[in-house]
Amino acid sequence: MILTAILAIILAAAVAPTLNRLLPALSHWVLALVPLSAALWFALQVPGVVAGVPVLETASWAPSLGVALSFRLDGLSLLFALLICGIGAFVVIYSGGYLRGHPREGRFHLFILSFMAAMLGLVTADDLISLFVFWELTSITSFMLIGFNHEDARSRRSAIQALLVTGGGGMALLAGLVLMGMASGHWTLSAIAASGADLRAHVLYPAMLVLLLLAAFTKSAQVPFHFWLPNAMDAPTPVSAYLHSATMVKAGVYLLARLNPTLGGTEPWFWALTLAGGVTALWGSAMALRSTDLKKILAYTTLMALGVLVLLIGIGSDGALVAFAGFLLAHSLYKGALFMAAGSVDHGSGTRELGELGGLWSKMPATGLFIAIAALSMAGLPPLLGFVAKELIYEDVFRNGHMVALAVLLLANAAMVATAATLFLKPFLGAPTKAAGHAHESGPALLAGPAVLAGLSLLFGLWIALPQGLLGATADAVRGGAPQSLNLHLWHGLTPALGLSGLTLALGMALYFGLSPVKNSLAAIQRLTRIDHDRAWDCLLSLLQGTANRITSALQDGVLQRYLAWIFAGILLLLGATLVMRGGFTWPGIRLDGDDGLGIVLALLMLGGTAGAIRARSRMEAVLSLAITGMSVALFFLLSGAPDVGITQLMVETLSTIILVLVMAKLPMLPPGPDRSRPAKLFHSVLALGIGGVVTVILLAVLDQPLAMDLSRFFGDTSLVEAYGRNVVNVILVDFRGFDTLGEITVVACAGLGVFALLRARMGKGGQP
Amino acid sequence: MNAWLTAAPILIPMLTAALCMVAWKHPVVQRGLSLLGSIALVAAGGALLSIVLNQGIQVVQMGAWAAPFGITLVADPLSALMVLIAAVMGFCVALHALGDIDPVREKGGHHAVFQILMTGVCGAFVTGDLFNLYVWFEVMLISSFVLLSLGGLREQIDAAIKYVAINMVATACLLLAVALLYGVTGTLNMADLSIRVPEVPNQPVISAIAVLFIIAFGMKAALFPFFFWLPATYHTPSVAVQAIFAGLLTKVGVYALMRVFTLIFTGDSGWTHGILMVMAGITMIVGVLGSLAARDLNRAWSWQVVAHIGSMVMGLAIATPLALAAAAFYMVHDIIVKTNLFLGAGLVRRLAGGSTDYARLGGLFKTAPWLCLLLFVPLGSLAGFPPLSGFWGKLLLVRAGLETEHYVMVGLLLVTGLLTIWLVGRVWAEMVWKAPAEPPAMAISTLSFGRTYLLILPLLLLSLITVSIGLQPERLLNLAGQVGHSLTDTSAYVQAVLGTTPSPQPTLLGALETEAMP
Amino acid sequence: MEVIMALAVGGMVAGAVYLILSRQYLRVMFGVILLSNAVNVAILTVGRLTTGNPPLIAQGTEVMDHAAANPLPQALVLTAIVIGFSLLAFALVLGYRAYQEMGTLDTSAMRVAEPEEKP
Repeated sequence: MILTAILAIILAAAVAPTLNRLLPALSHWVLALVPLSAALWFALQVPGVVAGVPVLETASWAPSLGVALSFRLDGLSLLFALLICGIGAFVVIYSGGYLRGHPREGRFHLFILSFMAAMLGLVTADDLISLFVFWELTSITSFMLIGFNHEDARSRRSAIQALLVTGGGGMALLAGLVLMGMASGHWTLSAIAASGADLRAHVLYPAMLVLLLLAAFTKSAQVPFHFWLPNAMDAPTPVSAYLHSATMVKAGVYLLARLNPTLGGTEPWFWALTLAGGVTALWGSAMALRSTDLKKILAYTTLMALGVLVLLIGIGSDGALVAFAGFLLAHSLYKGALFMAAGSVDHGSGTRELGELGGLWSKMPATGLFIAIAALSMAGLPPLLGFVAKELIYEDVFRNGHMVALAVLLLANAAMVATAATLFLKPFLGAPTKAAGHAHESGPALLAGPAVLAGLSLLFGLWIALPQGLLGATADAVRGGAPQSLNLHLWHGLTPALGLSGLTLALGMALYFGLSPVKNSLAAIQRLTRIDHDRAWDCLLSLLQGTANRITSALQDGVLQRYLAWIFAGILLLLGATLVMRGGFTWPGIRLDGDDGLGIVLALLMLGGTAGAIRARSRMEAVLSLAITGMSVALFFLLSGAPDVGITQLMVETLSTIILVLVMAKLPMLPPGPDRSRPAKLFHSVLALGIGGVVTVILLAVLDQPLAMDLSRFFGDTSLVEAYGRNVVNVILVDFRGFDTLGEITVVACAGLGVFALLRARMGKGGQP
Repeated sequence: MNAWLTAAPILIPMLTAALCMVAWKHPVVQRGLSLLGSIALVAAGGALLSIVLNQGIQVVQMGAWAAPFGITLVADPLSALMVLIAAVMGFCVALHALGDIDPVREKGGHHAVFQILMTGVCGAFVTGDLFNLYVWFEVMLISSFVLLSLGGLREQIDAAIKYVAINMVATACLLLAVALLYGVTGTLNMADLSIRVPEVPNQPVISAIAVLFIIAFGMKAALFPFFFWLPATYHTPSVAVQAIFAGLLTKVGVYALMRVFTLIFTGDSGWTHGILMVMAGITMIVGVLGSLAARDLNRAWSWQVVAHIGSMVMGLAIATPLALAAAAFYMVHDIIVKTNLFLGAGLVRRLAGGSTDYARLGGLFKTAPWLCLLLFVPLGSLAGFPPLSGFWGKLLLVRAGLETEHYVMVGLLLVTGLLTIWLVGRVWAEMVWKAPAEPPAMAISTLSFGRTYLLILPLLLLSLITVSIGLQPERLLNLAGQVGHSLTDTSAYVQAVLGTTPSPQPTLLGALETEAMP
Repeated sequence: MEVIMALAVGGMVAGAVYLILSRQYLRVMFGVILLSNAVNVAILTVGRLTTGNPPLIAQGTEVMDHAAANPLPQALVLTAIVIGFSLLAFALVLGYRAYQEMGTLDTSAMRVAEPEEKP
């Protein structure tokens, strides 16, 4: 059924463009039914999962690699699945309204639904490789979504940036998961957990940890991989609402939570997560205070939330994990609502700049209401879910005495209070601006999402018992091991946590009202961070590009001579190193006997011809020298009992010379003067002598070995009797190895065709420059 | 019957080429012949593979002379797989050529020479004799010379000069290597060699000869530092020729490496396979950097050909059954994707008025959305996006590498993968997303109906194969697994070639041989 | 004899490499001719050399005299010579066409397929 849900969403994606063409005004409502029904199905699984019975599913995929499409629905997966399908349904509706009349609306639904399917697969996959497949699919679909406004160069840049950062994480994930599978001997998460194999004690644990953290941190935009997320806000608002708040960026958080039972709880785990999470939370909050674009503000508060989530997993105590579950839900709801409502503001008033917004309350009351509720949840005020989540966080962190973490959280939450106030107070209650003049309330498609999500923030806050079971199951799944009972309340009484909440509120309001000095000091920070990240990214890329260009133009410089020099140098190096390293080469004793005199003469002639060809200043001189070598070779063949070869060599030599001379008649003289510079001469001589020497050494070593003559004996013995030929060489050519000759004839024929084509088949004149 | 089938991959294209030459004056007849021959080759390749999988390794002793005296043709799982995949590429490219090839090139003998190229490629895959392998390499080489220069454009001639010069050196290396190996073993039959090579008293000399084979085949396969001819030339000939070159030529070199370094040279693998490993690593990085430096689509793809040769050779160098399976799987994937990329680039060039400089391309998303979908498949597969074929290849290699603790190589592989993703993202952004600098030269709709199909159909076919391998990888994985096992345990191969059991119909090609006699 | 030929082969290979490293296409071709001659000599040499008796089966006998020259390398050389010649013929005509198209035989000046990068 999980696979069915995924496939149904993919199917919806596939038909989206067509459907949009047929029913331009309705298609989003129809399409939303698919994720909505999936959400409904998932909701029906809640009781079972809360009772501790996960839903399992397996379909065979690549059994020879041990890869299966296996899914497992426990509390964590279910919470995510519900968020993905639930928020997803409203995002689909919302984007229909947001992109009304956009020529590529259908394509947008195609991408966003594909993304949804990938994300759903990611959070439900049990098989390590399937998990990776869905992980990568989210990166690819988000690439398409971020680059949706693709005529805009900035969108394209952001899309590539996100693709590269998350793609790099993907590479790390692949290696990390394969290491996990190899180390544990199991290829599903549940089997690894059940096997009791302690990966934390494995020798490869540090490698696994680094790789998997790299994957999670890039995906969830943890410092120092955070820079792509604000840039990704170039995407249309529904994308930001969906990918960059509720789902994709939480994939990294999901991965960490998922791996916590098997890899978590160690010192490196604790420090890596708390550090990255803490820094990200602080940085995100500071940047949120500093920004003036509604979407940018929300993007940075998302960073803060991701940081907090990672921090909580890092702390890893029972209470922290419950707080994790609570905050995960609370954040997804209020952030989804805020993003969509911010889009509605943009849609209705034409701007997202804080400075241009004011007095919208009378024009856009519904939007204002939903923003207010969601912002209250973000600020962590009762009776909203955000309050419950924040209390849980404070309570646990305080109890465990993580004072640095507590300070970080206090600051970050105070910043959230200030940001929440910023989002609502001035745009809606401030003095009306020009933009407010023509503002208008958005339609139902744009408001459905914010309404439901803000409503849920309120409902769950008031009735915390409703999501309590699922939150507990989520915490259980992240913790691993036996389920623990959970009893959440909106009102905890007068606890230290409540005091901390009060402090947060006070600090937040102080921040809000004293914002300008804070902003100024933050501006300095931002200048630093801007330089640090986006520009560093560009530098990194241009450094890479420059390296690529330099290496490439150094190697592939278009000059044949240098290509050949590389090649010969490679040959010399490889063969020379082999001779040196492998040894085994002895100088054979030179035993001259009577017949060798002639051999020496022939060898000298060959070498003389060679030298002549090298020294030749004119072409004819060279051709004649070559002819001397060729004729000596022919003579050598003749004298070595190879008359056929000798005669053929003689003929071919003659023919080659004739062709050479004929062609040369049409060609220019060799240029006067030396053929190459002095250093080149030296270098080339080294290469030439080296290769010649190496060939000689190997040849001598070969000749020193005994040679089995059984093949030739066989040819000699059977040539006449079985193949009816007295000339054994000819019999070999036409019979024993006749297939070689077939190939040889093909070569000759093809060369003939080629010469013809060279001379005759010519397209146009000259060709392109 | 089976014996015929083993020889068919050579005989069918050879016969087709001969008939094309007979019909020299009639290009239309040649077109029909080329298509028919390609289809027949696909059928033969499919039949051969299924017989090999069902009945084991197929062996034919040409001229009925028992191995090692005559020339033996052998179809083991690797050979049969390569033949089939080459045949499918041949078919797709032949189809594309019908819609794309320039009349001048057609009259210059494109179809005949193309079939000769296929003869050489298939010959190299099925021969079991080292000198015969050299001969088929030469057939492949001369036909590639001709195809590269066919049409005689200035840049083609320039490219051909470099290609010819470098490859003639490569040829001499190969011939010398074969001769030296004969000089210590007295045999040329590869199965026989695998028995005799370990018996040679002076093993260091075997290592030296093995390294000479690395050099010779490394030049064919475009390994660092021997790859220069490839990026210098692949962007110059006609689209069909680019596609078949990119798909097949270098892979024949990789195949030859896989064959001799699993069957013959396994004694000093610490040294020889170590060299292969280093070359593979550098090749990957240099290749992918080259592809990033290129501003022209075809040249970027050429560099990508180089880069992924490194990946395959990495599998060979690790040489466990899984790694060899990975190399085989990757090779199949890469052949399909590279052919597809070059065919696609040809189509894009047609639409963009002769340019493949991707700074000048753009707007494909608007003008040809379906084509974008089609192009996304090879692009995504190149980048290793799941669930396309490239992903499985990468997964296999990563797993094979990590299992054998080749962490550096896996790292290089993943970095290469990431940089390839960058390239793909960039190409997509420039070619598909960006608004075009100038309006497209022509819309696809201005092509005649039939021609559109001839150009698109091969793309569609190849993309479908890539997607189906990606979604249902099990068949190919299983097959690659068999390849891996048959390459690590070569006793079945040797037994099939030299074994006492006579091959089914030994007198089969005697008839053909006598015809060739004067 | 074999040792002498091994030295001769080495010398020819060295000369060939040096010529192939020239910028002049013609010299490259000279080098290629030399190289293929060298390799052909090497092939015959690794089959071990004897003087005199060609591998023929004399009239009246049924099998070849075992002292005759090794026939197999001879067959290989014959094939190699023909193939080498075919390639060479093509390469020479290509040189002619290159000169026609580009007006030079200096390979360093042939920059059509890989033009110099504009800065």
